[in-house]
Amino acid sequence: MFSLSIKEMTFFKLRYLLIGFILFFVAALVFIISGLANGLANDNASSMKQMEVNSFYLAKDSESRLDRSQFTIEQADKAKDATAFGVQMQTAEKGKDGKKIDSTFMTFENQKLVPEVVEGKAPSKTNEVIVDKTMQEDGVKLGSTLYLPTVDKNVKVVGFTEHFTYSHTPVVVMKTAMWEKMGFGYNALVSTDGTPKQTIKGDWSTKDDVVAQIPGYSAEQSSLNMMLSFLIVIAVFVLGAFFYIMTIQKVQQFGILKAIGAKSRSLISSTMLQVFVLSVTSIALAALFAYLLPALMPAGMPFVFDPAVVLTYSAALLAVSLFGALVSTISIVKADPIQAMGRVE
Amino acid sequence: MTLQLQNITQQFKDGDDTLTVVQDLNFEVNKGELVAIIGPSGCGKSTVLSIAGALQTPTSGDVLINGENITHYGKNDLADVRLKNIGYIFQASNLVPFLTVKDQLKVVADLNGTWDEARADELLESVGMNDRKKQHIQHLSGGEKQRVAIARAFMNDPDLILADEPTAALDSNRSDEIVALIAHEVHERNKAAVIVTHDESILHYCDIIYEMNDGKLVRH
Repeated sequence: MFSLSIKEMTFFKLRYLLIGFILFFVAALVFIISGLANGLANDNASSMKQMEVNSFYLAKDSESRLDRSQFTIEQADKAKDATAFGVQMQTAEKGKDGKKIDSTFMTFENQKLVPEVVEGKAPSKTNEVIVDKTMQEDGVKLGSTLYLPTVDKNVKVVGFTEHFTYSHTPVVVMKTAMWEKMGFGYNALVSTDGTPKQTIKGDWSTKDDVVAQIPGYSAEQSSLNMMLSFLIVIAVFVLGAFFYIMTIQKVQQFGILKAIGAKSRSLISSTMLQVFVLSVTSIALAALFAYLLPALMPAGMPFVFDPAVVLTYSAALLAVSLFGALVSTISIVKADPIQAMGRVE
Repeated sequence: MTLQLQNITQQFKDGDDTLTVVQDLNFEVNKGELVAIIGPSGCGKSTVLSIAGALQTPTSGDVLINGENITHYGKNDLADVRLKNIGYIFQASNLVPFLTVKDQLKVVADLNGTWDEARADELLESVGMNDRKKQHIQHLSGGEKQRVAIARAFMNDPDLILADEPTAALDSNRSDEIVALIAHEVHERNKAAVIVTHDESILHYCDIIYEMNDGKLVRH
């Protein structure tokens, strides 16, 4: 029956092309939204994701929120098998013209956690910092000075990092000496291995929990994920309805094929084969489209094509369309061969 | 005996009433015989044909094809009987709309797992359609479609050929041509065949003629 189903598709090109297009657009939309969810997650928490840390020790009752957790320098000094980590969301001013840049300041006691420099050099003097590349869009260059109005201090940019952002703002990494000079406290103790017992009061949180509590992170991800699940549900009904109509239209033909000796089983497998071929082609094209999309979109667009995620959603969409087609096969089983005896139209 | 209908009764429920269309009917067809069943429309002759053709199961009575009683067969077994033992020529040629002439024959052969291209060519040659075998059926006239349907009916080499008003959609010249062709193929290939018709002008091609009357068949 393989050749029969393919011949039918090539003969009724327009009909199958239309369904293919719907599948393509639904799949493309799913991939775009998932890419956007991915991109936003990265934009929001890339610094946390890059940090090779598995748990955070936060002050009591801070509910995994870094901004609610505060440790003094003295408390941080008592850390056992863990190192101090500071994060402050601040508005920096660029040099003399005073252009304000929303940014996040971080410091790591453990030098291994300092991100890799892709341009410029690692900081050596106390007042030297490295910043995320996205600050270049605000005109920050190597050698630029950043002024922190809240503490009235200047720092000098000596290097750029890549994909190191926090809550959609570029991260400025400084030395702990400078951090303490500015009078900031620490927000967490971080451990790269396990959850060693501490003497100061607090609780260990996993990295995932801390990431989920970054301001805006959960709200963004959950609204995008809701869109995705709705899209999948819509796809079930839209595809189900289309395949149903397509099958209903062919009931007479199924009756005739049964009259000349075809069994329901072979008619069903022929229909499912068509849907499979159609779905795989459309979804593959949509994946290709999503893969090429970043080239067409403006540079600042947070969109990340993750093959693993795309593959997962592809499998889900394929399952959905096969399920939609399977529902309509009831009418194939019901098609009565005696319909072939009908009158001339 | 290729086809035997024994004590067939067929009733339909019509609201609270029961309608008896065929009453205690007996009928048989042998190899090499072309049998015609005539009668006014609605008299039940197509019902007899659909029972003989394993398209529906009678209310009571037995259907034997090649001596095999198929009365209590399930759907899949009936489909096999239709595929291997019976060739149909319907009123509307009932070809598959998206296939070429030759592929119409390939469908039934593929279902049976016995595609023989030479046989298909020979059949299309004998119904005079060999030069159009690569065309899609939408380009064919009614008479040409019926020729293809005749070739398809013979494709799996069935013992029984059933034709349900094969000329209803054709003008009288074409009708004569088509029935002559059916008669020729049936006799040459030594098949048993039944034609249901109300067109009396074609009866001279048939060996035996029955008339359907009050749910019974009367031999002329």
